[in-house]
Amino acid sequence: MAAPALERADETPEPGERGRVAQLDGTGLIRVGARPRLFGYIREIWSFRHFLYYDSHSRVASANSYDSLGRVWMILNPMFMGCAYFFIFGLLLQTGRGIDNFIGYLIIGVFTFRFFTTAVSGGSNAIAGNQKVVQAFNFPRACLVISTTVRELFSSLPMFFVMALLVLTIGDMKLDGAASIPTALSWHWLLFFPCIGLALMVMLGWSLALARAVNAHNDVKHVIGFGTRILFYTSAVFFSPERWSNIGADWLVTVMNLNPLFCVLDIIRHAWLYDGFADPARWIVLASWAVGSLLIGFLIFWQGEESYGKER
Amino acid sequence: MTTSTPYISRRSRASEADLIAEDLAVEFDDNAGDATETRDDHPFTQQTPVIRTVKPENVCLVVDDASMTYRVRSSSDKHESSGRIARGIKRVTGAGWAEVHALSSLSFIVNRGESVGVIGTNGSGKSTLMKLLTGKVRPTSGEVYATSTPVMLGVNAALVKEISGRENIRLGCLAMGLSPEQTAAKYDQIVEISGLSDALEMPLKTYSSGMSSRLQFAIATSVDPDILLIDEALNTGDAQFRARTKERLDEVRSNAGCVFLVSHSLGTIKQMCTRVIWIEQGEMLADGDPQWVCDQYEEYTSHKANGRMRAAKVVYERTRLRLDRMQIDFTTGTRPKKAGTGRNR
Repeated sequence: MAAPALERADETPEPGERGRVAQLDGTGLIRVGARPRLFGYIREIWSFRHFLYYDSHSRVASANSYDSLGRVWMILNPMFMGCAYFFIFGLLLQTGRGIDNFIGYLIIGVFTFRFFTTAVSGGSNAIAGNQKVVQAFNFPRACLVISTTVRELFSSLPMFFVMALLVLTIGDMKLDGAASIPTALSWHWLLFFPCIGLALMVMLGWSLALARAVNAHNDVKHVIGFGTRILFYTSAVFFSPERWSNIGADWLVTVMNLNPLFCVLDIIRHAWLYDGFADPARWIVLASWAVGSLLIGFLIFWQGEESYGKER
Repeated sequence: MTTSTPYISRRSRASEADLIAEDLAVEFDDNAGDATETRDDHPFTQQTPVIRTVKPENVCLVVDDASMTYRVRSSSDKHESSGRIARGIKRVTGAGWAEVHALSSLSFIVNRGESVGVIGTNGSGKSTLMKLLTGKVRPTSGEVYATSTPVMLGVNAALVKEISGRENIRLGCLAMGLSPEQTAAKYDQIVEISGLSDALEMPLKTYSSGMSSRLQFAIATSVDPDILLIDEALNTGDAQFRARTKERLDEVRSNAGCVFLVSHSLGTIKQMCTRVIWIEQGEMLADGDPQWVCDQYEEYTSHKANGRMRAAKVVYERTRLRLDRMQIDFTTGTRPKKAGTGRNR
């Protein structure tokens, strides 16, 4: 044991310092706060599944508890948005010309886009906005992000129901310059569920990666707001992608085809409005995004597990 | 005056020690008999390390050379960055990074069955040490090792304001890693300790601060952790509640392998602890017998309270001289790397 003695001797000897060395066998000990291995981490999350479920569930119930209309806002909000967009883009700018069933087209676009972006921006704030919970308990932090996404799904269920109702009733309303195809319930409508499932995987992957980024640098929040706008205009929420090819910007069409949110909208629109299948390429792109972002996002988040308790 | 700065660097401490050497000489004459009596086998000049093997089965918690420096955003000019570029950036963005030395490196081992009191004036680094012990923050240097993840019983146990007391109890239990069955089993006990059975259906935002801290206490003490950290502010509330909580707190303490108690009440510390660590200005000043450490602390604080900074400094240096510094050395290849779980019993 010469090494510690040498180390001590190099330092300025402080008064009263007697370099006592305690030697011990650390086999039975753990490092406090250490990040578990990947599979251990997944197992930890699994063992906290009840917490995850209960957390998302209880917060859905209390989400709008400060408004007098409460949960009704979950439906009113996208409806008002839809009206505003219909007025601006449908009536004033006429972006809907040439789109069959434009009202249904717009409703699906606005409602689903809102679902996607609120979940991602909520998920990205899951760690930074819940520092009190993080400081108080020791559960794996990914639980918070997953719970935010699950919560968003729960709270969107009534909204999706209203969306289906609206598409069925007024979705095929006749507008100038476009045909009207009657909408009716068919088994194609069920394609909505696997599609939203894949969308959830994309959202969770993005939320996980962004949650770490926002916790490390609050500045990322501003960039997320900007990114949401970009996503809004490249997802064909209120216009048809043909618009781009008409003005000769074919590269923008390629960008849109690779955009997961556009794939989601396109699949749902084909199933609900036009009673058919979307291009299989949409499914392939969406599925690759789902698997890829969930995998990469999870790895990024897990890698930073030890940094989430730090105050900023 | 050095005492007004939150942290004293190693260098200025050494020169300070020279400056007050005479004062110390006087002080040591007073203590000479005492010092030689207990420590005559370790004269002050001895530099060779004394190697002592610790029985691993007794060890509960090991702090190995842990130190903490926070980097925070700050717009004040007090912590001016040294680099020109950094200053330029700060001028543009409006705030620069300031480094706060919260804790300089310290090492100690806590054995099973020990109750350790942690004392120190406000801002001395007690809370930082607790954060390092629970693994919420990773130390800037060094590590903390333990047999299981230590659990902090504090008033900061998170509660969700919008949901009812009943739901908060369930949520808190599940967040501590209890299964739904265990949660159901503990539910009655939690309600009883909190004494809030009438208000359980109300959302938490309608609770008074005293009521919500009672609920927090009841939830936090529903588990029996092996390594337990108790915050001084925990045991608040009216007399009736204090009497009820004391019982539960004693129960949790007796079930725990080792206990840390952070408190300003020296009476509680002397009564409950077998060992006391005194942290001052981010540095460990003393680690040992409760009576002796508390006496030094009391003398220090009374000098400070009466503005006798020089006298306080003397007590500070005198106590630091007596500190038996230790260094941790793991048998080759046994430095722990494993992670603990967040689950509780």
